[in-house]
Amino acid sequence: MKFRKNLKFSTSGVRGIVGESLTPLLTCSLAAAYGRYVGGGRVLVGRDTRPSGEMIENAVVAGLLSVGCQPLLLGVVPTPTVQVMIVESGANGGIVVTASHNPAEWNALKLIGAEGTFLTENEYAELSDIYNQEDFHFCGEELLRKVKYIANGFKIHQDKIFNSIDIEDIRKRRFKVAVDCCNGVGAVYSRGFLEALGCEVFTVFDRADGNFERIPEPLPENLDALCELVIREKCDIGFAQDPDGDRLSVVDNNGVALPTHYSLMMAADHILSENPGTIVVNIQTTKNLEDIASSYGCGVEYAKVGEINVVRKMIEIGSEFGGEGNCGGVIWRRIHPGRDSFTTMALMLEMLSLCSESIAEIAATLDHYVNKSVKFYCSPFNSREIIRSLQERYSGEEQLTFDGLRINFEHGWVLVRQSNTEPVLRLTVENSSSELADQQLQRFTSEITELKNQLESEINV
Amino acid sequence: MRSFKLGTAGMRGMVGSGLTVERAVDFASAFGTLLDGGRVILGCDTRFSTNMLRHAASAALLGCGCEVLNAGIVPAGIIHFLTPHLKADGALLIGAGHQKAGCNAAIPLAAQGNYFNRIELQELLDIYHSHQYLGVPWNKIRKIKPIPEGAVYDYLDALCAVIDTRAIEKANFTVVADFCNGSGGAVGELVAERLGIKMIGINKIFSGILPHEPEPRPRTATQVQSLMSPLNADVGFVFNSDVSRMSIVTDTAETLSEEYTAPLAADYLLAKYPGSNVVSNICSTRSLDDIVTKHGGELFKTKVGQANVIDKMFETGALIACEGSGSLAGSNWVRGFDAFYVMALILEYMATTGKSLSALCSDIPRYHIVKSTVRCQSSQAYNLLRNIRGMARDGVINEEDGIRIDWEDGWVSVRASATEAVIRLISESKNIEKAADRDFKLRGMIEHQRGEL
Repeated sequence: MKFRKNLKFSTSGVRGIVGESLTPLLTCSLAAAYGRYVGGGRVLVGRDTRPSGEMIENAVVAGLLSVGCQPLLLGVVPTPTVQVMIVESGANGGIVVTASHNPAEWNALKLIGAEGTFLTENEYAELSDIYNQEDFHFCGEELLRKVKYIANGFKIHQDKIFNSIDIEDIRKRRFKVAVDCCNGVGAVYSRGFLEALGCEVFTVFDRADGNFERIPEPLPENLDALCELVIREKCDIGFAQDPDGDRLSVVDNNGVALPTHYSLMMAADHILSENPGTIVVNIQTTKNLEDIASSYGCGVEYAKVGEINVVRKMIEIGSEFGGEGNCGGVIWRRIHPGRDSFTTMALMLEMLSLCSESIAEIAATLDHYVNKSVKFYCSPFNSREIIRSLQERYSGEEQLTFDGLRINFEHGWVLVRQSNTEPVLRLTVENSSSELADQQLQRFTSEITELKNQLESEINV
Repeated sequence: MRSFKLGTAGMRGMVGSGLTVERAVDFASAFGTLLDGGRVILGCDTRFSTNMLRHAASAALLGCGCEVLNAGIVPAGIIHFLTPHLKADGALLIGAGHQKAGCNAAIPLAAQGNYFNRIELQELLDIYHSHQYLGVPWNKIRKIKPIPEGAVYDYLDALCAVIDTRAIEKANFTVVADFCNGSGGAVGELVAERLGIKMIGINKIFSGILPHEPEPRPRTATQVQSLMSPLNADVGFVFNSDVSRMSIVTDTAETLSEEYTAPLAADYLLAKYPGSNVVSNICSTRSLDDIVTKHGGELFKTKVGQANVIDKMFETGALIACEGSGSLAGSNWVRGFDAFYVMALILEYMATTGKSLSALCSDIPRYHIVKSTVRCQSSQAYNLLRNIRGMARDGVINEEDGIRIDWEDGWVSVRASATEAVIRLISESKNIEKAADRDFKLRGMIEHQRGEL
């Protein structure tokens, strides 16, 4: 028997390795607890293309049925489609079987509430409580319901996007578009989606079998094949999705993969030009967003890292647009409150259709900052102590302290933040001047190292 | 009442309290681990909880690296046939058969389509109790596929090959069949078409709702009974929800006890193959003893349970194996109870002799049988049974399975059920009052003692 490892309960879902930690029993029990948590009723179930998806989906359906829920199966669909469909169908919640950008051996349950948003930390705690009860009650035969299948989930999602953008303008331009579907849900839907927008579509990694042929996170360094395709077919733009279709990266018309935060920057620029308003981004997001927003007379609010935190903040302050720059996540609440690569693609094309510039020309005008990052292996306790010391030391500066410590300087910022997934303290520095950025990186690196050594030696004494 | 049973008849219980979805995942994981991956057929009945159990079993089996062939809603007999036919390593039957609404079961079948024997069961339960299951990596997980198209027709072809369909077709029978809204409704018409009979099927809606007790009994046969005369039918059949048991209604609308299903078929087959032997369980009607003796054969008796009688049939080279619950297996047919096969045999019997069913029944020695149950937890049952022995002052005791006491003029059997939390009582005698009297006394004794425990 192999040692079971790597199970992770967090607000981004319950993730584990198939055949080791993420077992049929665990996923079934968790789905049952979730069904209880949402109070029975209808629960949507979708999945990405991973080979383990069918197994986990069956376990989830069994678990939901056991507590009297009616599972509505969407089949292989993007995560955002499930979010849209929860609201459209008035279901009590949804479960997506996907490990998002994690490698193929992983899978996970993403749990979504009745509003179409992921569960918050508190909601997870409540769910976990139910899951861990000894005397969990299942329903008897007479209360069990039947499974229903929904075939047109993505179509409804697509229509919702098309109703919110100017598709005629896009169609007129007959864009040549390349898409890297990462062998995920995009392989099923992206071609049809883009062709409906009048594009000539070229695809790569378009077998929907979940055998990922590239590293699934859509980072610039993983997109060589897409860049080549854009150059070979002389495309206007290239899109790279992750396996469950919530994140998006962009490749420009010269075949250059733009850093992930460009998706959010360009989308924000485009949205604010038509619908000005306060935008919400996570605390790691580039200061470029502030510049873009202020050029339209708008402000930026910051939220903790994590999609649900950004979404909660957006709902709280009534913001229409936001996202997470560092992972290519764009959130436009008009469609639904969550990251969505399809909405992002439509926005990019709408933006292109309204101007005469190429995507490379647009991108060249946007980024004015240098962003550098370094990580320290450090226990969670010491990380907290270091953050606290730095907070005191820089109490004279403008600080954001709800997720690590972010210190805002005139031309940039410094973020010291503990990772949610690893015992790592991460230092990120952004500044308009490369020199200043280097200086600050050096200064904070030595300060953190000093504090860390001090803390570790104290324990040794 | 909580009810949960693990045995050769699989994992059974009240859905939600005894048989939970988690236990089903565990059980199917143990099964998949025992098979070390391999091909597994899933067959289902129509109950509400069957879908849940099918999804749970599918997930568990896929997790063990199994290839899952989903047969959908089909009678047990077809799964017994398809398992070796499709070269599967095993099968899982999901459905509670004769058990009342609220119950369900998952029954593992071995590669020959037979129930697990004691040793195989022990291996399975050892894995189940260890909670250590096979988990294959992501790229070794296989898919759920439907069974090949036409697989059901292979079954029908095979069935017709062992039955004289020409004779049946010529006889132009009108047959009433009650499928109890179970899986029989899925293929009943196909079977009728192949046998060349006019079948009027009732209770064939896959609603998950049982229209009456699913156990074939005279009291559950009343719907069929009421149709016999208006439809001028030659025979009526009452099936349980997975078509493993059957009782018969005659052309004169007599609702025969399910106990007579086997003696009728045996009377026919033993005349056709003289000198053959029969296997039955310890508490089946004496009518069968009389029939076997009449034909000069031998009757072997085993513990109650499909696996016991069928394995004994193959071990002894007997012609048929049967149980008083209305089920029968033939050595030339699948390794399980298939009531469509028994139906075909009875029709063949009628067709080849040209006699009406009521006429054929008159050759069967008749007894009066009283069957009853006393609710009782398994933990108490065995104690209670031991105390019954006192009743047998003048009778002959047999303790093969529970206790059977034989007198000159009848017998009683008291045993703990393998499928439910009850004690089953059977009392048989030529004299109806005697049978009822013994049942009444016995029930009183057991209930009295249960009160004291």
